[in-house]
Amino acid sequence: MIAVKASKAHRTESIALAVLRSASGFFIVSIALLIGYLAVEGTKLFTVDHKSVFEFLFSPSFAPDQGHVGALPFILGSLFVTGFAIAVGGPFGVAVGVFFAELAPKRVASAMKPAIEVLVGIPSVVYGWLGLTLLVPLIRNATGSTGFGLLAAGIVLSLMILPTVVSLTEDAVKVVPDSLREGSLALGATRWETIWRVLLPAASSGIGVAIILGIARAIGETLAIQLVLGNAPVLPTGLLSPASALTSEIVMDMGGAAQNSLLQHTLFSMAFLLLLIAMGLIVLVKLVTRKAT
Amino acid sequence: MAVHIERADLLDKMKIEDMNVYYGAFQAIKHGSLNVPENKVMALIGPSGCGKSTFLRALNRMHDLTPGARVTGKITLDGMDIYADDVDPVTVRHRIGMVFQRPNPFPKSIFENVVYGPKIHGETNQKKLQEICERSLRSAALWDEVKDRLNRSALDLSGGQQQRLCIARVLAVEPEVILMDEPASALDPIATSKIEDLIGELKREYTVVIVTHSMQQAARISDFTTFFLLGELIEVGTTSEIFTRPKDKRTEDYITGRYG
Amino acid sequence: MAAQATLAREARQQRSAGNARARRFVDRLATGMLWAAALFVVALLATFIVYMFYLGAGTISWHFLTGLPSELTAGGGVGPEIFNSFYILILTLIFTVPIALAAGIFLQEYARTGPFREAVQFSAESLATVPSIVMGLFGLLVFVQTLRWGFSALAGAVTLTLLNLPALTRVTQEALSGVPATYREASMALGGTKWQTIVRGVLPSAIGPMTTGIVLISGRIFGETAALIYTAGTSVAHGSGAYDWNPFHTAETLAVHLWYTHSEALIPDVDRIGNGSALVLLIMVLIFNVAARVIGRQLTIRFTGKS
Repeated sequence: MIAVKASKAHRTESIALAVLRSASGFFIVSIALLIGYLAVEGTKLFTVDHKSVFEFLFSPSFAPDQGHVGALPFILGSLFVTGFAIAVGGPFGVAVGVFFAELAPKRVASAMKPAIEVLVGIPSVVYGWLGLTLLVPLIRNATGSTGFGLLAAGIVLSLMILPTVVSLTEDAVKVVPDSLREGSLALGATRWETIWRVLLPAASSGIGVAIILGIARAIGETLAIQLVLGNAPVLPTGLLSPASALTSEIVMDMGGAAQNSLLQHTLFSMAFLLLLIAMGLIVLVKLVTRKAT
Repeated sequence: MAVHIERADLLDKMKIEDMNVYYGAFQAIKHGSLNVPENKVMALIGPSGCGKSTFLRALNRMHDLTPGARVTGKITLDGMDIYADDVDPVTVRHRIGMVFQRPNPFPKSIFENVVYGPKIHGETNQKKLQEICERSLRSAALWDEVKDRLNRSALDLSGGQQQRLCIARVLAVEPEVILMDEPASALDPIATSKIEDLIGELKREYTVVIVTHSMQQAARISDFTTFFLLGELIEVGTTSEIFTRPKDKRTEDYITGRYG
Repeated sequence: MAAQATLAREARQQRSAGNARARRFVDRLATGMLWAAALFVVALLATFIVYMFYLGAGTISWHFLTGLPSELTAGGGVGPEIFNSFYILILTLIFTVPIALAAGIFLQEYARTGPFREAVQFSAESLATVPSIVMGLFGLLVFVQTLRWGFSALAGAVTLTLLNLPALTRVTQEALSGVPATYREASMALGGTKWQTIVRGVLPSAIGPMTTGIVLISGRIFGETAALIYTAGTSVAHGSGAYDWNPFHTAETLAVHLWYTHSEALIPDVDRIGNGSALVLLIMVLIFNVAARVIGRQLTIRFTGKS
C-alpha cells in the first residue's frame, strides 16, 4: 500500500517538475524570439533598403521621406541625456545611499525609505508630465528659451534613476564588514574618512553595478523625456535647444510610419540598437561583478 | 572596587578611576579602577562575557560609536582626561591604538594598509611613507616576509601574517599605548607564539594592555594581570603574584579552573 | 635618547592636533551634505505630491472618473481609460503570476546550478533590461501584426507579461529563500516528496512576501505606458461599448491617455485632463504601495500564525 501511494506522489512530482521546467524555458524562448524578430526587422534598413550602417550610425541628417536615414541626432541625444542623468543622479544617488547605510538613525531611515519607494512607483509618464508642467516653465522663466531640451530631460531622468542608484549603493555599502569600520576608526580616522577611504573603495564593484543599472534605466526611458525634450530631429546644440533621443523618436513617429516604409525600418533599426546597448550593459555588469570575486 | 598596584618605581601611563559602562539600562562595567604602568604589559583575564573587552574599548573611546552606550568615570592618559569635552576622540585613538580579535586588513595593498594611519594624520611625503612602512613592518616582525610584495593585496596573506600586518598598521601611527583584544585567539599555535614574542618586544617602547582568555598566555607574556568577574575588577597584581598567591578567593577559583 | 623621542613625539602630536581640526571640519561638512542630499530628495517628493493634489483635485469628480473621453471638445472624462488600466492589469497578472511562480519555484528549489539554470537566469536578466518601448515594438510585430490580434488589450497584456516576468520571478525566489531550511528538512524527514514539501511546507510561508511583491508590481503595471501605446492602442471604442470586456478591442489606459492628450490630441482642456489623470495615477500608486505592505503582513499572519 505504501508503495502505491508513494508512486502516485512521485508521478505528481514528475508532472509538476515538467511544468516548472517549461515555465522556465519560456524565458529562454521569449528572449530568443525578441532578439530574432528585432534583428530581422531592425536590419531591413540595410538588407532591403540597402542603406549603409555607416550612414545610419554617423550621418546627422534625418529625413526619411528624402532618403536620409542618419540616426546620429538621436544617438547623441540619448547619450547626452543619459550622461547628464548619470553625472547628476549618480553622485547624488551614491550620496543618499551612503547616508542610508552609514548615517541615518534607524527611525529616520524607516521614515524616509517609503519616500524612496514611492519615487520608484511613480509612472514614467507622470515624471514626464511633472517635467512638462513644473520644470519646463521654470527653465523658460530662468533662461528665456522654450524650456524644452536636454536640460529638462536630463533633470527628469536624474530623478528617475535616483531610487535605483540609492538602493543598490546602500546594499553595497551595508555588506562591507563592520571589522573594517572599526579598524579604520581605531587608527584615528573620522567617520567621513572611513567612508571615503575604506567603505566606498570596498563597495566599489557594487556601486559600479548601481551606476551601470542606472545607465540602463536612463537609456531605455521613453515617456519621461519625450514630453520635455522638444523632439527636434537635429543634432543637439546645447542644453536649452530642443533635441531628440532614440526612445523619444520611436514613440513619436511610429504611429505615423507607413508599413514597410523607410521611416518604419529606420525606427526598428533604432529599436534594435537600443536592444544591443541594453544587452551590452548586462555583459558589463557581469564583467564588473566577476572582477570583484 | 578599587584596585591599585603599589609600586613607587612605576609611572602610570593610564589611570582609570570609577569607570562605569552602560549599554542602555544594562551595566557592563561596575566601578572599575585601575592603574596601567608605562612600558609594561597588563593582561586582563576572566571568564567570557565578564566585561574585559568592554573595559578595553572604553580606553580608546570605541564606545562613542555604539548608539546607546555610555561611559562614566575619569580615564586619563598621562594625566589628561580622554573623555573631556574638548578632547577629540580622533586624537585619543591616534595615541591609543587597538588590535582586534580577528585580523581586519583593508582590501588594499600591504603598503596602503600600513600607511593608512600616517596618511590620514597628514603625512604626504612618499619617501617618508616608505620609511614608516618599512620601520613598522620590521617592528611587527613581518618585513622579511613581505618586503618584495608590498603592492600586493593584504588579503593574500595568511591569518598570522594579516594580524602582524594589523599590528604594523597600528605601530605606523606611533601610539603610546597599544590595546589588544585577544589578538591571537583566531590564530594557529605557531602564529600565536610569533605574536607573543612580538608583544614581548613591543613593551620596550609602548604600553600594552591585552585581553586574553588564555591564562597560560597571560602567564607567559604579561608583567601585571587584572582579574575580571561579572563587570567588576576583582584583583590586580604582578602576574606571578596573581597566579601563585591570589588574594581574593574568586581569583583563586578562576585560576585553579573552578569555572571558566 | 628618551628626551629626544619625547620631543619628536610631541612635535608630531602638535602637527596632528592642528590638522585634526581641519579633519573634524571636513567630517562635519560631509555629514551635513549627506543629510542635506537625503532631505532634499524627500522634500522634492513632498513638493510633487502637494503640487499634484493642488492642481488636480479640482478636476476629480464622479463625471471625470466615469465619463467618456471627448475627441474635440472640452469636458471629457477618463472612465473607460481607468477601466482599461484595471482590465489590462488583471489580464497581465493572470498570465504573469502562474509563469513567475512556476519559474521561481524551479529556480529556487530545483535547479540551483547547471547550464539550463544559467541560460534561464541570463534570459530573465536580459528581458528585465529591455527598454519598454522596444518591448512594445516587439509586441507590435508579433501580437498586433503577425498574430493579427490588432491593437488590443490582449496584445498589451502579453507584452506586459514579458516585461514583468523577471521581476515577479525574482519576488518569488526571494519569498521562497526567506523560508527557513528547517521547514523543508522537517517535511522531507516525514517522508514528503520535494513537491509536497514545497506546496504544503514552503509556499504558505512565502505567500505574504509574494503578495507584497505582486501588489507592488501591479502598481508598476498600472502606470506602464511605452509598451502599451503600440500594442493596446491609443483609443477606446465609442459610445457605451467603451466599457468593453472583449480582449481584442483597443484599450487605451489612463497612463497612455495622459501621454496621448499631451502629444497628439486636439482637445482644448489638455491641462485639466492631464492634471486629473496624473493625480489619479499618483493616488493609485500610493494605494498600491500601502496595500502591498498591509496585505502582505496580514497574509503572513494568517498563513503562518506569526507576526
